[in-house]
Amino acid sequence: MSLLIIKRRTPIKIMGMTRKYWKGLEELNQTPEFLNSKDKEFPTELTVEEFLGDDKLNETSTARRDFLKFLGFSVAAATLAACEAPVTKAIPYVNKPENVTPGMPTLYASTYYDGVSYASIIVKTREGRPIYIRGNKDYGITYGTTNAQIIASVLGLYDSARLKYPIEDGKQDSTIDQAFGDGKWDKISTKWSLVDGKIKQALASSNKVVLVTNTNISPSLAKAIGELAGSISGSTEAAVADKFEHIQYDAVSYSGIRSANLVTFGKSMIPTYDFSKAKTIVGVGADFLNSWLMPTQFAAQYGSKRNPSGVWMSKHFQFESIMSITGSNADYRGMIKPSEQANVLAYILQKGFGVSTGVSTKLSAATQTIADNAINALKASKGESLVVAGSNNKSVQILANKLNSVLGAYGVTIDTNVELNMFKSEDEKMNRLVNNVLSGKSPDAIIFHNVNPVYTLPNGKQFGAQLSKVKTTISTAAYADETASKCKFICPDHHALESWADYNPVTGHYALAQPTIRPLGGTRSAMESILVWAGKKQHGGRDSKIVYDYLKENWQTILPADSVLADAHSAWNTAIHNSCISLPVAVTDAVLTFNESSLTGLAEGLPKSAAVEVELYQKAGIGIGLQSNNPWLQEFPDPMTKVTWDNYITMNPTEMRSGGYVTTYDQEHGLNMAKVQVGNAEVTLPVYPLPGQALGTIGIALGYGRGANGENIGKAAFQTKEYGGHVTDDNGNPKAIGANAFPFVRVLGGAFCFDNAATVTKTEEIYPIAATQIHHTVMARHSIVRETTLEIFNKGEKEAYNPAHTLQKLDENGDHVKRPVSEFDLWDKHPVANVGHRWGMSIDLSSCIGCGACLIACQSENNVPVVGKDEVRRGREMHWLRIDRYFASDEEATIGLRKDEDTFSYDKAEVAAENPKVIHMPMMCHHCNHAPCETVCPVAATMHSNEGLNQMAYNRCIGTRYCANNCPYKVRRFNWFNYPSYKKFTEVNPAQDDLGRMVLNPDVTVRTRGVMEKCSLCVQRIQAAKLVAKTEKRPVDDTDFVSACADACPTNAIIVGDWNNVNSDVREKSADSRAYQALEEIGVQPNIWYQVKVRNEHNQLLSELQVAEHSSEGAHNNKNNHH
Amino acid sequence: MHKEAAIREPLILGHKTYHDITEDVCKPIEDKAPKMWYILFGIALVIGLYGVGCIVYLLGTGIGVWGLNKTIGWAWDITNFVWWVGIGHAGTLISAVLLLFRQKWRMAINRSAEAMTIFAVFMAGTFPLIHMGRLWVGYWTLPLPNQFGSLWVNFNSPLLWDVFAISTYLSVSLVFWYIGLIPDFATIRDRAKKPVAKKMYSILSFGWSGRAKHWNRFELVSLVLAGLATPLVFSVHSIVSFDFATSVIPGWHTTIFPPYFVAGAVFSGFAMVQTLLLVMRKAMGLEAYIHTKHVEYMNIVIMVTGSIVGTAYITELFISWYSGVEYEAYAFINRATGPYWWAYWAMMTCNVISPQLMWIRSLRRSLLFTFIISIVVNIGMWFERYVIIVTSIHRDYIPAAWSMHYPSHIDIGVYVGTIGIFFVFFLLFARYFPVLALNEVKTILKSSGESYKNAPDHHTHEETHSNH
Repeated sequence: MSLLIIKRRTPIKIMGMTRKYWKGLEELNQTPEFLNSKDKEFPTELTVEEFLGDDKLNETSTARRDFLKFLGFSVAAATLAACEAPVTKAIPYVNKPENVTPGMPTLYASTYYDGVSYASIIVKTREGRPIYIRGNKDYGITYGTTNAQIIASVLGLYDSARLKYPIEDGKQDSTIDQAFGDGKWDKISTKWSLVDGKIKQALASSNKVVLVTNTNISPSLAKAIGELAGSISGSTEAAVADKFEHIQYDAVSYSGIRSANLVTFGKSMIPTYDFSKAKTIVGVGADFLNSWLMPTQFAAQYGSKRNPSGVWMSKHFQFESIMSITGSNADYRGMIKPSEQANVLAYILQKGFGVSTGVSTKLSAATQTIADNAINALKASKGESLVVAGSNNKSVQILANKLNSVLGAYGVTIDTNVELNMFKSEDEKMNRLVNNVLSGKSPDAIIFHNVNPVYTLPNGKQFGAQLSKVKTTISTAAYADETASKCKFICPDHHALESWADYNPVTGHYALAQPTIRPLGGTRSAMESILVWAGKKQHGGRDSKIVYDYLKENWQTILPADSVLADAHSAWNTAIHNSCISLPVAVTDAVLTFNESSLTGLAEGLPKSAAVEVELYQKAGIGIGLQSNNPWLQEFPDPMTKVTWDNYITMNPTEMRSGGYVTTYDQEHGLNMAKVQVGNAEVTLPVYPLPGQALGTIGIALGYGRGANGENIGKAAFQTKEYGGHVTDDNGNPKAIGANAFPFVRVLGGAFCFDNAATVTKTEEIYPIAATQIHHTVMARHSIVRETTLEIFNKGEKEAYNPAHTLQKLDENGDHVKRPVSEFDLWDKHPVANVGHRWGMSIDLSSCIGCGACLIACQSENNVPVVGKDEVRRGREMHWLRIDRYFASDEEATIGLRKDEDTFSYDKAEVAAENPKVIHMPMMCHHCNHAPCETVCPVAATMHSNEGLNQMAYNRCIGTRYCANNCPYKVRRFNWFNYPSYKKFTEVNPAQDDLGRMVLNPDVTVRTRGVMEKCSLCVQRIQAAKLVAKTEKRPVDDTDFVSACADACPTNAIIVGDWNNVNSDVREKSADSRAYQALEEIGVQPNIWYQVKVRNEHNQLLSELQVAEHSSEGAHNNKNNHH
Repeated sequence: MHKEAAIREPLILGHKTYHDITEDVCKPIEDKAPKMWYILFGIALVIGLYGVGCIVYLLGTGIGVWGLNKTIGWAWDITNFVWWVGIGHAGTLISAVLLLFRQKWRMAINRSAEAMTIFAVFMAGTFPLIHMGRLWVGYWTLPLPNQFGSLWVNFNSPLLWDVFAISTYLSVSLVFWYIGLIPDFATIRDRAKKPVAKKMYSILSFGWSGRAKHWNRFELVSLVLAGLATPLVFSVHSIVSFDFATSVIPGWHTTIFPPYFVAGAVFSGFAMVQTLLLVMRKAMGLEAYIHTKHVEYMNIVIMVTGSIVGTAYITELFISWYSGVEYEAYAFINRATGPYWWAYWAMMTCNVISPQLMWIRSLRRSLLFTFIISIVVNIGMWFERYVIIVTSIHRDYIPAAWSMHYPSHIDIGVYVGTIGIFFVFFLLFARYFPVLALNEVKTILKSSGESYKNAPDHHTHEETHSNH
């Protein structure tokens, strides 16, 4: 077109330079606009204002500017909404605090004591937050042993249900809640002073003040209590008894031991025991590896002598009703009713040592056989044996004392010079107080410290109802729990990790607990409270040094002024550094003489036998319920039953089958409920089939049913619904987990006794059970667990008890030869052998007692999410480390070995024996060198490190779950939901709580939804160890690195290290004659070794199978290849 | 012209002319849809949308809404995946393998069978996608150059081979199907009266003019694609079986899987074709083209592949005992007698016993019986995959980890939903696409049409004519 125009409009001059070209019509026509702009090189742009200045634009309903604002806003809003803003405040250290290096942990030696457990601990803090507790292996009397409850207690620090300030008449104070938000701590101090004033006035005007505590082993607190007593009643002793009384009351009482010792030796005491010196151990109803007295000491002592390669291995007999952790480790186990404990002791005394006691020696035939065995063993190791009885009955304990004294255990395995200061429960005094309160003759003021009698007393409910009639009631509980919520004043104590404390657990041993964080709330140490109420001190405020000063001053009398610790100051510092100090103990009475007259009339004081007897016990996780709001512990699979989030009635499956109970359970199939009645008290709980439970007995765990009246003791203490939120009862209160069994406690001979006659009525109601293991036997699979007896082991032929896996192949001559499986390989060798590091682990099945401390340590170290009951029931617990527990079946000669190849029945092999042997087998990622998981991942999210670790790159994982399917050990865990934010987990997962999140280990990623996770062998610790070695310019040493599980193991069953280091423990263990690898024959080449379980028993059948068959080589191998 | 024996049953019944074929095939497209179509479509759509809802909930909440657990990482998801892939086998087998073998009876059924294949593979492909924990990064399974450093896919993983196998199969099947549709679309285009339909079909027919050159190329491309697709028929399910065969899990780790999976796939695919066609021939009045003989042919395929599958089951059982491997032996004892015995025996009954009934001529020519068996077979094949996947992993090596699988309602919803979506697609196909390859069928009218075959006059006439 333009060409045409040009042709038509151009004035064409034929010749010369007159031809004129123009660029547009404007130029041609010489318009004014053109003339105006022709000399400007750049055209003036139309300004935006001019362009948009058009009035018509404003006529649109959305103004232009508004539109742009909307656009801008929505883009910004969408962007903001799309990305989370996890960090609201990030303040760098301008002045770096002393001892805090960001990224480096700070460790504090401290001490744990909750009235039940005691241990010397080390608290790991990161950037000022305590995140991990482990045992102190260098100092203290507990050898670095802890248990699941102690390790998990760090989580309680960050529980938002803890009270933050004193409560009067149960009323929260909104102005103080506000003050927390504003950081106005002085308002909290004012509140304290206000409450203190009222309390002091009330105490002064009381006719009598009673202080109820659990056993106090703190010398400073004892002194403070003395000061309170003095301030209330003046100074004279008589007046004190009249106006002030201090009652020590333990929920689980051991007063029977003290009163027995008073009778037999004239001294009310609990001696200390040393299981590492006992060649024969007889336990009668004493779960000493889990709950009886000082398991933190006993487990390590016991474990040290369960090594068959050691100088000697102890022989352990256990007579008990419930299959306990201790019983599961025994070499011989007899099933008795609680009322038969005395019979066992009397039988052994009578038959073995000719001591008649007047107590019935009637036992079942099976028990008698075991008791005879025990007698032989006791005779063989006289003087090096130990008998412990669990009953709180004085008569039973007198029998145990007699037996120990006949055996010569005193002075060898029992030390009466070093007494245990714990468990001084004054049951009679407590009962008198309770009766007084119930009958309206209560003292004017009662102070509760570290006790929860409304929950733990058999008649706690009635006691709680009467408390409101007491003029002044004060509790120092950290929560408004069953007792505290009924008190007029609650003066919340610090969490143990926030406060100073001192302890004197045994004669001559003093320990300190130090705070590892500034108090999170406006709480106050109970010791300070008592000092304030005694008028000795004024409220010290948030950073009070009152208790510190008080302790320090008090310790001047404790600390030795000897030459080593030249002055008191350095002695004090040393004590804090070590957390404890041991002083020489004066040996007063080398051998106590047994008072024979104490044996008269024993039978009268004994519990009567009943058709059905109930025994109350403590589970490894929940204990007596002090931490029932701790989701780690609620989700901790019970070592024997593997059930989480519940208590239940344990009953022998044989009895259940005849009684018509359901004995199998899974995700959709629950268990029958049954009603248990003891006197007027009754509970309805599901009945769990526990093999090894004595016939005619049932067991119920204590510590459940906390917060049954809706007391706010923490979110995780209550039942949760399938899609989140609490299950509520008729009153709208959240429903407690399980039921309280304390009402079944009876008072016998003035002491609380934890067994009773009961009636059990089955109901048709079916209750869902959340267990992490629903199959109980190993189906005689010899390549998973291996077991032998000490006899066979000592004969020294590895092939007998730990035969190598062989396969046939053709050699160069064309002959069939048997070669070890390691020679058959589909893949190239993984290049970790003898190059750099190769991290490995050895687990000794002989030493592992199944306590589960490793599991909780792993959870704490690796930020393993809690998923709640509903998810566990669906088989989706996230624990990286689990402990497989196998019961023997009647088809097995011992666990993992068929009794008779020809008659073997899979159906029968699925059923556990009536009183089975047990193996605990810790199971975690095996870090296979030829890992099946690695080959199948389409995106290579899981791969092998050049240090032999099977690693997960969470970021790369797309969640096909193929790796989990292909894992022969089934140790991979999938993030089915977004645990840190999905509503289903709000009540249970601490990572969903602003405060609870503080416990997370910053070295370990919190996994997102849809990715796979699993044991990393604590790779973060490996890296840290390597870095330390690097900065110190030295090679990584075998002791530099320890995984959380190995660290927590009380019996050192788990050992980790560098397999390529020829001097490492793990290398040595892997070459041991007991070493084997689970499922070795499938050729995955794991970096985990197990050690064959050795029982110190005589097993004729096993000897025949393992030794006799081994002598005929062919037959043996045949068996192994084909079963 | 190709001659066919007179005693051979004709493939087209009645007195059909070329025009009749066109009319018969185009009628459902050009007429108003019957009420029944709307009802079925409505039902399928509702079920399909429910399934979509379940999938959206799944993607929004997490894989935990399914009934999987720490031991059983795959259950209904991968069962459904393999089931649908298996169903997706018949189409390409019919169109490619039977084309190469010059089986003329395929012409009546290949179009629908291919359509079914494609829709089934769509459904199958859904499961590997939604079963991923993090679908949004699912593209990492593709070997794309990336900015993540030296990060690459893992070529050792059978899941990766799956990605390639399924996507290749889907694309080749789709192209093959579409190529066959082009002349038929052109026929419809030429007959269409409404402008929108005319426009749509003219786009779909790619300007097909029916020239000899076009037909020549059409035949060539069909042959080339058949050559390409034939190995795929065998590779896809072989590779799907590698998901299991290359693992270490007893019951999965089996070398017999590739042939046995392919046979099973053809087995279930043909059964699904039977299910669909028996209804369709009735509903769309195609009895003359898809009749007893076709059904019988397909039943023979079902019988043969069913027997292969049955043999494989027995072989597996024998080998598990003969191997002497404890875990392998237990895996199979557990299948037959363990907690999932009912699934195993459902599989055995449906897949081993029911096809054997086809030996009886009257039964394999009975349409009602065939319809029932075709459904039974697909139930059986679903159980086969469930048995392989779930009963193998629910009790593998470590008894402490043994578990049970219970489907959640989302599991069921997603599965049923895919059946709904499948039928939505198929019903749309039946409504708007030529369900018979009409131009191909025309090629056999004279050789295999009843009227031509059984009219001796006609032949004589032709001969006399030529003599002139």
